[in-house]
Amino acid sequence: MQALWQDLRYGARMLLKQPGFTLITVAALALGIGANTAIFSAINTLLLRPLPVEDVDRLVVSVTLREGFDPFGSPFLEYAAYRDRSHSFASSGVARQRSFNLIGQGEPERVRGATVMANYLATLGVKPVLGRAFSAEEDQPGGPPVALISYALWQKHFAGKADAIDQSLNLDGRSYNILGVMPPGFDLPGVAEVWIPLQVNIDNLPLTERAATNNEILARLRPGVSLKEADTELKAIAHQLEQEYPDFRRGWGVKVISLRQNLLGDLEGRVRSALFALMAGVGFLLLICCANVANLQLARGIARERELMLRRALGAGRWRLVRQLLTESMLLALLGGMAGLLLANWLLPILAVLNPIRGISLAAFLHNFAIDQRVLVFALCVSLLTGVIFGLLPALKSAGVHELMPRIQQRDQRVGGAASGRRWLKGLIVAEIAIALTLLICGGLMVQSFQRLQHVDLGFTPDNLITMKMVLPASRYSQYRQRVGFADQVLERVRTLPGVASAGMTTNIPLEREIAYDAIFNVEGGPPPNPNNVPITSHRVVSPNYLETLGATLIKGRLINKNDRAETLPIVVVSQEFARQAWPGEDPIGKRVRRVRAGQTFPWMTVVGLVKDVKEDLFNYRINRPVWYVPYAQVENDFPVNLIVRTSVDPTSLVAALRDVIHRVDPDQPVSDIMTMNTILSGVLVTERFGAILMGALAISGLLLASIGLYGVMAYSVSQRTGEIGLRVALGAQPKDVLGLIIGYGMKLTLVGVAVGLVMAWSTTRLLASLLFGLSATDIATFSAISLLLGLVGLFACYFPARSAMRLNPVEALRYE
Amino acid sequence: MVTQSTEASTTNGATPLIRLCGVTKVFLTDEVETHALSGIHLDIRIGEYVSIAGPSGCGKTTLLSILGLLDTPSGGSYSLKGNEVATLSFPERARIRNREIGFIFQSFNLIGDLTVFENVELPLTYRGMAAGERKSFATEALERVGMAHRAKHLPSQLSGGQQQRVAVARALAGNPAILLADEPTGNLDSRNGEAVMTLLGELHKSGATICMVTHDERFAQHADRTVHLFDGRVVEDRVAA
Repeated sequence: MQALWQDLRYGARMLLKQPGFTLITVAALALGIGANTAIFSAINTLLLRPLPVEDVDRLVVSVTLREGFDPFGSPFLEYAAYRDRSHSFASSGVARQRSFNLIGQGEPERVRGATVMANYLATLGVKPVLGRAFSAEEDQPGGPPVALISYALWQKHFAGKADAIDQSLNLDGRSYNILGVMPPGFDLPGVAEVWIPLQVNIDNLPLTERAATNNEILARLRPGVSLKEADTELKAIAHQLEQEYPDFRRGWGVKVISLRQNLLGDLEGRVRSALFALMAGVGFLLLICCANVANLQLARGIARERELMLRRALGAGRWRLVRQLLTESMLLALLGGMAGLLLANWLLPILAVLNPIRGISLAAFLHNFAIDQRVLVFALCVSLLTGVIFGLLPALKSAGVHELMPRIQQRDQRVGGAASGRRWLKGLIVAEIAIALTLLICGGLMVQSFQRLQHVDLGFTPDNLITMKMVLPASRYSQYRQRVGFADQVLERVRTLPGVASAGMTTNIPLEREIAYDAIFNVEGGPPPNPNNVPITSHRVVSPNYLETLGATLIKGRLINKNDRAETLPIVVVSQEFARQAWPGEDPIGKRVRRVRAGQTFPWMTVVGLVKDVKEDLFNYRINRPVWYVPYAQVENDFPVNLIVRTSVDPTSLVAALRDVIHRVDPDQPVSDIMTMNTILSGVLVTERFGAILMGALAISGLLLASIGLYGVMAYSVSQRTGEIGLRVALGAQPKDVLGLIIGYGMKLTLVGVAVGLVMAWSTTRLLASLLFGLSATDIATFSAISLLLGLVGLFACYFPARSAMRLNPVEALRYE
Repeated sequence: MVTQSTEASTTNGATPLIRLCGVTKVFLTDEVETHALSGIHLDIRIGEYVSIAGPSGCGKTTLLSILGLLDTPSGGSYSLKGNEVATLSFPERARIRNREIGFIFQSFNLIGDLTVFENVELPLTYRGMAAGERKSFATEALERVGMAHRAKHLPSQLSGGQQQRVAVARALAGNPAILLADEPTGNLDSRNGEAVMTLLGELHKSGATICMVTHDERFAQHADRTVHLFDGRVVEDRVAA
């Protein structure tokens, strides 16, 4: 213990004696440890930290997939089948997101909410902080109108008073008795503020309702059952349903994912992949930092060789010296770790802004990137591990020399320094360059992929568009013509506003997070539908001028206009992908198509227009999905309507005027989700943006560190080889020979590093394949360009030491030796 | 008795290989002028074996550096083979060093990463000589010093005496006009020192011009002319009997 204290004191003294070395080392380590801590903090927040539900890692969600990839809500049919046939779950429940118009609490307000089974909340293991949850009796058909409210809504409308319990809440014109207040931050499903019981006997519902895909099924795994086992079982049950109900279920499958993955909005697992790719990236960066610091240590070790040899001559054992040097390394690592924590603390708000998740639920937990106990332990472990990584090699190297006397006398008769010391330096710099190349290639691929995704043709012009959502309550809009009348009146008035270029209505804004409506279609005269390839399309019910306002491109025919009324010929405008799937190689204009739903008959619609593909579906951004646009006046529906306005001025400047127009048409109509189209778009590629920005930053940091490392090694090498260079000059070497000698040496290291790095990158980038769009994980152009870039940077890093070598005075250089 | 040597050394009338006229060297350190050499006049003829002797700090090594074109004089003139070389550019001086001068250093100065052969070949590579020719020159030089059998060894595998023989071979390899040796025995024991001096004597007998700096009287006597320096001046120029 006393020896350790002595080592610590001596180590601290050595670090204080060389403040420049200490500062550079601590800064390099802080960068590496800080970046690791920040990314780990993101992983901790998104993947590890407990959520305000009971034992979150045992909770799973069943997602219904069409054709194995296209995600939908789940039908009651699946829930009932799981309830009756599955052995994987200890409990399960169903919830359905919906929104309410909250009336009587000030200005009418649209609030998000859900209808839930009583066992949905029980499965989550969440209990109200005030009052009580629904009882099983209250969840029966014909049960009482009761509601639970969120903590935030309780604070906002009831000032957090306990007497809110048993007060009434007017939702969509109906009065509900408040039973309880949910815990702070809890808002599942979606971002619910109000929960009412489902009050449905599933088994008594008509098959069409049981097959409707608009619910969320949540379940708790039985002890000992894995997610994979549950997934396998539910897939088998889905297959049975396909055979039992072919009219409703053909082409439909399921996938079981963890609740956490569902909350991240990460069906494909891209967030997880991106986070682990980034963790590997910061790991690589840390290794580069370690290599740089080890280089410094080695160089310092060579300089301290005499002192260490003297210690050995005086009787210090090899391990005693290793321990002393390691103690110094640990001190440095801990200092670096503390500085790294400060850096991470500074980086975390940036990470929170770049938040990679599409999910909006439990934002208080999943958007709260903070340093907690787990992160602190991680930072400490990384710091200690770092100390061992960068300290052990130089320590073993310095303590392992056996020729004591010549080292003590420092009378080596050969110029150029000890070749073995330089071998280690060379090895480290090759490793650094190889790792930097791998990082750069990964970063390059992710940035390019993100750029390609950003430049995907949206099929519309997002600038100067503003959108807002309105849920027309059935209590006031019981007749469909009333909804059409509301839309017509609002549009007519909006178009007269100064600054408005055009306006339209649609049932879904492109790429919005809300429930997107789809339809199965049938082509007139076409072959019978393939059971494994149900033709399905994004179903958009739109007003005249909507497509013009969106900026969609008409390829052929015409768009929807004001003459397309309920009493005229049913028409439809289709996208290119729709036409390609429905009538490959044929002109779609004049062809007929209709919607298909079991138990219902829809009229044939004549195609009057063909538009360029529009990116409508958030979950299928990477592909072109069929879309049809049908006139709002011709297709009755109770979907929310979205006003979309193209402006000639800053679109946000018109918000008040637009609200005013709507309230003049219907004073009680709440307006929500007011957003510009660019804001909606910014939420589409969050994971890709997070990955690209951070991996790009890591790659640039890696490049800088590696080039500084190479520069340091070259500068050190020149100083070590001063005598040799002087000798060469004495023997007649011209300046260009000296330049060639140093640059050749540096470039040899660089090229070996690049070669090793190419092999590393070739095997590493394959792990990124699922994150990439529009380019291969082994894209030759990227591999070549990055190799060239690193070669040029290597050349640049070697040039300055080479230039100073060229200027060496041979007399002084020889005297130096 | 102090004698000036210039007259004596130029009496045969032939153009000397090296002629220094009034060469001075002044070092400026922290605004203090140090006169390392003051008005050196020195001629060295082809085939001479000259030793430069004197106490430590008298300017021997500075003089050798100027003779070897490693350094430039502060004043005076220096001609080599009748050409003024004191004011040449750095690359020109490097070219002349490479072709006309062979260096032998006290501390051998072999490059640790290169083999014996590569060390000897090194000055020839800077001459742009073809590989075949280099091989022949380097092998011949190694044979002259009796080190051809160690051509593939690294310097660290040789004794001090052997290393110095390799250094001599390197100096000889390019057939220079003059060999400049700076305390060539300084790092050797007496047996190895004698061996190196014998080697230099043999080279001289075969026609080599040698200028050697030494502070050891015994080794200075191997030369056929000794120039004594004191405080940067030539105080004696004695031709051996």
